[in-house]
Amino acid sequence: MLPYNWMMAVAILLPVVAAILIFIIRQYHVRGLIVILAAIALIVNSVLFLLHGKDTFSPANAQMWDMVVTVLDYLILLFYIYVGISLKNWLVLIFALTQIIPLAWFEFGMGGRAALAQVNPTFVVDHLAIVMCLVISIVGSLICVFAIRYMYDHEHHQHLEKSRQSRFLFWMVLFLGAMNGLVFANNLIYLYFFWEVTTLICFQLIAHDLTKEAIGNAARALWMNSIGGTAMIIAMIILFANGAQLSLNAIIGGGVVSAVLLVPVALMCFTGMVKAAQFPFQSWLLGAMVAPTPVSALLHSSTMVKAGVYLVLRLAPAYAGTKLGIMIALVGAFTFMAASGLAISQTTGKRVLAYSTIANLGLIIACAGINTPLSIAAAILLIIFHAVSKGLMFLNAGAIEHIVWSREIEDMEGLAAKAPLVTVITGIGVLSMFLPPFGMLLGKWLALESASSVVPLAAWMFVIASAATIVFWAKWLGRLFQVLPKLGSKIESLSLSYSVPLVALVLCIFGAGIFVAPIYTGFVQYAVADVISSGQALAASGWGGLAVSGISPVSSTANFPIGNYPVWPLFIVIAIAVLIPLIFIAVKPGELRPVYLCGEQVGGVDADEWYSTADAKVKVQLGGYYFQGVLGEAALNPWTYTLSIVLMVIMFAVALLAMGGAL
Amino acid sequence: MGIIATSRLKSPWIMHFDNSSCNGCDIEILASLTPLYDVERFGIVNMGNPKHADVLVITGPVNKRTARVLKNLYDQIADPKMVIAVGTCATSGGVFHNCYNVLGGVDKVVPVDVYIPGCAARPEAIIDGVVMALQKLAKLQGVAL
Amino acid sequence: MNAWIIAVITVIVAPFIGGLLAGIDRRITARLQGRFGPPILQPFYDTFKLFGKNRIAVNWGQFMWIYFYLLLMITALLFLVLRLDILLLMFILGFAGVAFALGGFSSKSPYSHIGANRELMQMLAYEPVLLLLALGVYAQTGSFMISQIYASPTPLIARLWPIFIALLVILTIKLRKSPFDIATSHHGHQELIKGIMTEFSGPYYAMINITEWYEIVLLLGIVSLFVATPGLWWLGIIIALAAFVLELFIDNIAARMTVGWMVKFAWSVGLTLCILNLIWFWVFAKGVS
Repeated sequence: MLPYNWMMAVAILLPVVAAILIFIIRQYHVRGLIVILAAIALIVNSVLFLLHGKDTFSPANAQMWDMVVTVLDYLILLFYIYVGISLKNWLVLIFALTQIIPLAWFEFGMGGRAALAQVNPTFVVDHLAIVMCLVISIVGSLICVFAIRYMYDHEHHQHLEKSRQSRFLFWMVLFLGAMNGLVFANNLIYLYFFWEVTTLICFQLIAHDLTKEAIGNAARALWMNSIGGTAMIIAMIILFANGAQLSLNAIIGGGVVSAVLLVPVALMCFTGMVKAAQFPFQSWLLGAMVAPTPVSALLHSSTMVKAGVYLVLRLAPAYAGTKLGIMIALVGAFTFMAASGLAISQTTGKRVLAYSTIANLGLIIACAGINTPLSIAAAILLIIFHAVSKGLMFLNAGAIEHIVWSREIEDMEGLAAKAPLVTVITGIGVLSMFLPPFGMLLGKWLALESASSVVPLAAWMFVIASAATIVFWAKWLGRLFQVLPKLGSKIESLSLSYSVPLVALVLCIFGAGIFVAPIYTGFVQYAVADVISSGQALAASGWGGLAVSGISPVSSTANFPIGNYPVWPLFIVIAIAVLIPLIFIAVKPGELRPVYLCGEQVGGVDADEWYSTADAKVKVQLGGYYFQGVLGEAALNPWTYTLSIVLMVIMFAVALLAMGGAL
Repeated sequence: MGIIATSRLKSPWIMHFDNSSCNGCDIEILASLTPLYDVERFGIVNMGNPKHADVLVITGPVNKRTARVLKNLYDQIADPKMVIAVGTCATSGGVFHNCYNVLGGVDKVVPVDVYIPGCAARPEAIIDGVVMALQKLAKLQGVAL
Repeated sequence: MNAWIIAVITVIVAPFIGGLLAGIDRRITARLQGRFGPPILQPFYDTFKLFGKNRIAVNWGQFMWIYFYLLLMITALLFLVLRLDILLLMFILGFAGVAFALGGFSSKSPYSHIGANRELMQMLAYEPVLLLLALGVYAQTGSFMISQIYASPTPLIARLWPIFIALLVILTIKLRKSPFDIATSHHGHQELIKGIMTEFSGPYYAMINITEWYEIVLLLGIVSLFVATPGLWWLGIIIALAAFVLELFIDNIAARMTVGWMVKFAWSVGLTLCILNLIWFWVFAKGVS
């Protein structure tokens, strides 16, 4: 066991040191080794946090660290101004100015610095933060390990003259430290600082390939997230003006905040929503897909966007039972529904994953807005399961891209014959997103069961979204497995840097899925209690009438009045369904028949051509259904932008009206 | 096995293939499927797909192009299967047996179990032929029809 | 009675009931069409014959997906019979359909591919209604457990009759009856060959049939839940059988429609009825009945 300040240093500062080393050392293998060592250190450290439990921390030399944070804050904002000017991107410039000017005035003009220096403790590590730390450290580190070989192949394919892998890995590893700092932060200026660091790294990584498109999309991510940063600064100013202490503990510690403080809470939730790419701010996440796949996996599915939902979830006690909470739930639910529908029309694998990510983040935010113990439990479980499954899916997309050298789903047809191992892992990833009894479906089921009584409109949107998610996942999975009748495809060889993270994430999916009940009772329920009882005195009522037993599906109404989710019986059914054919069915070559082409197939059993008129040979061509006329972005976006802007306006209006009523 | 053998006799699913027939026999086959003759009461269903069929019902003489297709379809039917050649053309080539592109009757390409002559073969004859095929199958399996 | 005994009896008896219903289906359809039709036991003859066929395949994956389909359908039926969570039942039923669609996708066959895509569109059409049905049950009984439906004094149909009508609409889709026999059809081979089922044969075609028999029993069981108060359960079964015969009539008077029309119809009629029903609950009848 390490002393606590060492654990904090490993979590936040070790990545900084490792990143600098990676940047300096340009040799492929040594650099990879440093990444792996840092990964191991972070993972072990996060387990130590789990074992240590809830705690708080303030750095010893507080004044020095405050100074560091302040200086770096302004350096980052000045850098944004520089980016805006040099790219002639006025939105970047404007939203950098809207941050730096109010911040400077607040800190130095209004006396904010003194108030911030008095915040104690600086870092709070409760069970929710530990959950986030585990997710960041485990999933994030695996993605960085994947990136070692991935970026090598990436640059190889691009025939780059001067390698930029060191720069890439520098930002990736640095990001892990920033995320850890973000989830531990209690002092609002520290929270803001780490938030801005993640925005900065997001900008650098999206722009990594230095194409015009990449830089443009990076700039868009920058100015949109700067709007979020501006909102956070305004929230700080309003809090200070109303005499509230500038820490998360103070905001949520008293239960539902007084009506005057609902506006800063709404602003901070807005910041979280922008970072989580909720509608109408989803375009930055979609644009971020041009970046190399490890960026999409790390930032834009498992970790950075989780910071956004983390903040909304963290603030849940502050808006519990208010109309603001209901509006937050509706914003999230609408995003879930709209993004799921739009995902059906996407032809690029990564855009499907992006829309799915946005949708699931909307679901988590909706659960936070619904604000019952059940829905908070759903939100936390969804964070865990989504980070693991979506991280795996993006890594799979990267591996597939390096096999077929394309990102289009249509080019992935029949991948099961070319690359069985990656295809099976991708299949597991896709199935884990919507197959019972895996964790994502458990989370969705919990969300539906908890929403029905509290915000039914959200429940109805969940229902429509659930139907849509089935369609686009099954469609994609089907294309991957569409093969000709041929036996004996060889299992392809993968570099360890690819296969170890992939297999590790698969094991995490199964482990977390099968043992979800012990994970909940042993750990997650404390996180739920931390979120809910931060202010309210609430007995940890556990599941509130549901049971996720893995042992017996038979229930008596006395024990399980609302619902029941037998985990292990369902896993056993799935296992039987997979194992029986695997063990007992071996297809012999004599049993193969060609696919039915009306008898006109050319050649033998694995024919993929047929005789057309005048005996001309025509290739069999299959295409996916995308419905772009009905579900495409051009068709739906006028509606989604309008409705989502209306919902956000109502969200702020509700908070303003409450504040006006109280004043 | 007894019940499976009996079931084979009570559920012969057909696939109907027209080699290069004038459609006369095809119309008679389809007439058998209509409510007037109603062969579905014998369990006969017209599946369009060789993978689902037990009995291949063929009309028309075999020419060089359809020989390839007919062989393909015959190979795609799972055992046990029967083949019925309907009409004089399918039996022997009929009036076309001398044409430069006609190879002859269907049995030049696939083994035939029952021949139903006629031009066009009547639905009663077709039903009779199917019953004969089932009797042949029954004898092969050693069950009573 | 012991849950294990109920489960075993269900697994053994349900396909027989489903097969008989399928046979009655063909008989009544034939009589409506002015002909005699096959004997009622015909589906069993078909199934045994199919088991006697030699195995042919187009790939290995299709077998695994059919096992998924069959086992998940049995699981969903057991959820109903053992009176467990209805929302989870709908999710399992949904994934059973996906497994079938993936079986159709598993080979590079044009007919199978179109059939599988259409099967997904069918799911898009009916899945929201099924999930909203579960929400409706919760709105009326205060619980998602089917055991609560049997314990509550008011039958579901008293306050959930719009959802019941929506259920009848999607029952047509689930039973693959015209106008919604779009992914595969009992008589559609002019258009699709056999759609999603084109590349299955022999024993595995038989397994799909058996799975559909389980599904018939499951769906009629869900219909019968609408009148499930103690003492009136027999009325629920009669209503379920009446719904089945209604579907046969609809099948014989309607022609197959397009995929787009099906989704639009199911959403505009089914979804609207469900949401109006739930809005009524939210506005007028908050709380448990």
